[in-house]
This record gives sequence, structure tokens and C-alpha cells, in this order.
Amino acid sequence: MLTVFAASSLTDAFVELEGMFEEQNTGIDVSPSFAGSSELLAQIQQGAPADVFASADEAKMDTALEEGLVAEPEIFARNRPVIIVPAADLGGIAEFRDLAEADAQMVLAEEAVPIARYAEEVLDNANGEYGEGFAQRVRDKVVSREANVRAAANRVALGEADATFVYKSDVTQDIRGRVQVVEIPEGLNVLATYPIATIEESQNPELARAWVGLVLSEEGQRVLENYNFEPVGYS
Amino acid sequence: MKRRRPGWFGRGDRLASGLAVSALALLAGFICLPLLSLVIWTVNEGAWRAMASQIALDALLLSAKTTAVTMAIIFIVGTPAAFLLARAQFPGKRLVNTLVDLPAVLPPSAAGIALLLAFGRMGLLGEHLRVLGIELSFTTAAVVMAELFVAAHFYVRQAAVGFAGIDRDVEEAAKVDGASRVAVFTKITLPLVYPALVAGAVTAWARALGEFGGTIIFAGSFQGVTQTMPLAIYGTLERDFDAAVALSVMVLGFSFAVILAARFFTGRAEERAGQD
Repeated sequence: MLTVFAASSLTDAFVELEGMFEEQNTGIDVSPSFAGSSELLAQIQQGAPADVFASADEAKMDTALEEGLVAEPEIFARNRPVIIVPAADLGGIAEFRDLAEADAQMVLAEEAVPIARYAEEVLDNANGEYGEGFAQRVRDKVVSREANVRAAANRVALGEADATFVYKSDVTQDIRGRVQVVEIPEGLNVLATYPIATIEESQNPELARAWVGLVLSEEGQRVLENYNFEPVGYS
Repeated sequence: MKRRRPGWFGRGDRLASGLAVSALALLAGFICLPLLSLVIWTVNEGAWRAMASQIALDALLLSAKTTAVTMAIIFIVGTPAAFLLARAQFPGKRLVNTLVDLPAVLPPSAAGIALLLAFGRMGLLGEHLRVLGIELSFTTAAVVMAELFVAAHFYVRQAAVGFAGIDRDVEEAAKVDGASRVAVFTKITLPLVYPALVAGAVTAWARALGEFGGTIIFAGSFQGVTQTMPLAIYGTLERDFDAAVALSVMVLGFSFAVILAARFFTGRAEERAGQD
């Protein structure tokens, strides 16, 4: 059995890759575990029996590397943050700069979750563009901190919240009909970088390396691209 | 040598009581070890600092506030409801009984989704409330509702059993002596049922304090507004393990204090009852 710890934004892409991997390696059962990267890191630090770690930001992977928990990581995908709002009710948010003015309830992932950190970076950049106080006005609209990016996305898809930051890849088939994407202006946006590494304590180091290989392969990269990730080119 | 009860000498009996003692020791040890580990871990500076952190104090205050409001509502609504369930016969009583029990067996996360679908912005009732300008999700009121939903059963059930266990003749005798119905209830019934009410209240309160799934789904998590102790523990776990441990110890101390207080009050009531 191969246990893959992956950022929750990777859910759909990795579930498809799971099928591929199990087909290529008969008899091997892949068990993916999706959560916020920070939660996964905490679990790995506590000795959870994982074989592979795929994080939604480099900071978490760097921590894991510094603590000697993982082997040398490789970047396997990039992703672009966007804003989503409920399809039915725009809540006055038609473009990014409306975020500060709209009468809206926002949700955001927990502080330590990568998307929340990227959101902070974007808001800092926006301060420069739209004037000081923009970021704070947006922050003041946050009514709940969700455990991970998918939980935040679901709040908006359900119509419980008016806006949140997600990755482009989070606008999946499941919620596409229920949300609208509001792009973040190119000059303000950041590019999320996804590193992957095998866990040092892995009981199946060979299989773990095979999984990383699949993710970096041409077919692996194509799957990621299908789910709106930006591939990094294959090895 | 002291006299023992005769049963103690039987061989099978001795074996059985030996087994029972080891079972109890095993159970006590199993509960004790994790709690002890929690406390031992806090013997470091980081944990103490975390206990005084804003997030911890906000969460503890919010937990204390919301569970207090929850318990007040449970007392006011639950006591007469339990009385009715214990004493009255009415059509559909069995159904109502089952309904009251249901939240006790329903996983709290399912309760959270149910609450969201009822009172959330797009919910069955929530949609109409929103038109009136009332939004419940992401508010402290939503936390109380989640706690109420999962905890009420534990008080109502024990209170009902308490009411049902009272010897009606005592009440009737007082009535014959000319006591009013209200006087009978406050002077006779309530003191008799008091230990059952306190026991039920402690269980219900504990359940409300521990409420997690329903709160995080229906009320969300935001410091000072909806982030109760269990949510704060979960939230800090990924960021700062020491802080999560510190919060757990705080909630342990808080629960311990409440249980001791409840023991003290029921103890006093039983003493009084014993003296009468």
C-alpha cells in the first residue's frame, strides 16, 4: 500500500492519477489523504505513516526538508489563485477591486494553509495598487476560517459565503455550475508552486519514487493540466 | 480479622472480583495516561505562553459564554419538557421521545449539515430569515444552536427519568394538605429531582463544551466569534503544537472545575435529603 499525502487542491487530479498508478502497478493499493498542506505537515511531523508528500507551497516542504522528514523535493505544478463568488448572487463583486467595497461575507482558509498565505500576498500587492487599507477592508469581511481550500470553496458553492480565494484548479466540475470566477489582475497575482517529495521514513521507498515519477511524467502532467494546473514540463 | 461478606470466599467469586478490579484499573489507566501526558507536555515555557495567548483566552471565554447560554436555554425549556415527557400521556409521545433522543446518536457532523440546511443562508428556514435580515451562520448564535441541538437530549432524558422516579403519593399528600400545584412543584418535586437535574446538566454541559462537528460546519470558525475551545485546538494543531496542547490542558482544567462544582452541589443536596 502506498500512502500519498497531498494538498486538498490536488484532490481530483490525484484521484485520477491513483487509478492510473494502480493500473500500472497491479496489486498496489494507493491511499491518498487530502487536507490542508499545513495539517499534512503537522501529521508527518507527528510520525504519520506517509510515503509521499505533495504540498501546495514551498514553505511547508522547506520545513519538512529542514527537519529531515523528506527527500529532495521537485516542483511538479503551478496554480493560480482566483476569487470565486456564488453563481446566483454576485454580492456586488464583479471584479477583484470590488472585494473591499462589496457588502459581502468572505471565508478564507486557516492562516497556515498555503492559499491563505497567497491571499495575503495578493492583498499586500493590492494595497500598492488600490491604496493602503484595501487589504484590511477585505480582511474585515472574513467571517470564518476554513480548514482547507476545498472547504472554503464549498462555502461559496453552497451560497453560505459571498467570496473566497481558491486556486483556479479548485473550480472543478462539481462546483463549476454554482460559482463564478473573478480573476485577480495579473500584476497583483502570485503563482502557487507545488513541490513533491518522498518521505524519508517511507516503508515503500521504491513505490513512493514511482508515484513521484508518474506525477512528473508526460501523462501525469497532462492529467494535472486537465484539472487547470499549469504543468512544469515533463521529465 | 475483619468480617467479610460470605461471597468473597468463593473461588469463582474471587476470580470474578479480581477480574473486575483489573478491568477497572485498566480503564482508569487508559483514561489517566493520555490526560497525564497532556499535563506533562505543558511543563515547558511555550505551552504556558500559549495559555495566555489571545486566541486561547478568546476561545475559553467564548466556550464559557456559549455553553452558559446553552445551559440556560436547556434549563428553561428542557425542565418543563422533561416533566411533560415523564408525567403526561399524549398522542405521538413515543415519536417525540424518539425525536428527543435522535441528536444523541446522530454524529455531530451530520447535525451540523442538518442545521446548515435548515438555518443556513440557503436553508429551508434560513432563506426566509435572510429576507428579514437575520443571518445565523457564522454567528455566535449559530454556535449556541449547534450546542443546543446535540446537548439538550442529555439533560431532558435524565430529568425525565428523575421526574418519573418520584413517588407521586408524596406530592398527592402535600396537595391534600392544601399546597398549591406550584408549591408542590417547587417545595416537593424539585428538591427530590434535583440530583437528577444536576447530573443531566453536567452531561449536557460536557457535550456542549465538546461540540465540534456541528459548530465547524454550521457556525464556521472565527476567533472570538465562533471559534470555541475544540475548534481552537483543531485550528492551532497545524500551526503550533504546543499551543494546541496548552488549549487542551485549559479545557481539561475547566471541565474538571465544573465537574467538581457539580459534585459539590449534588453532594450537598443528597446530604440534605438524607437528613430529612
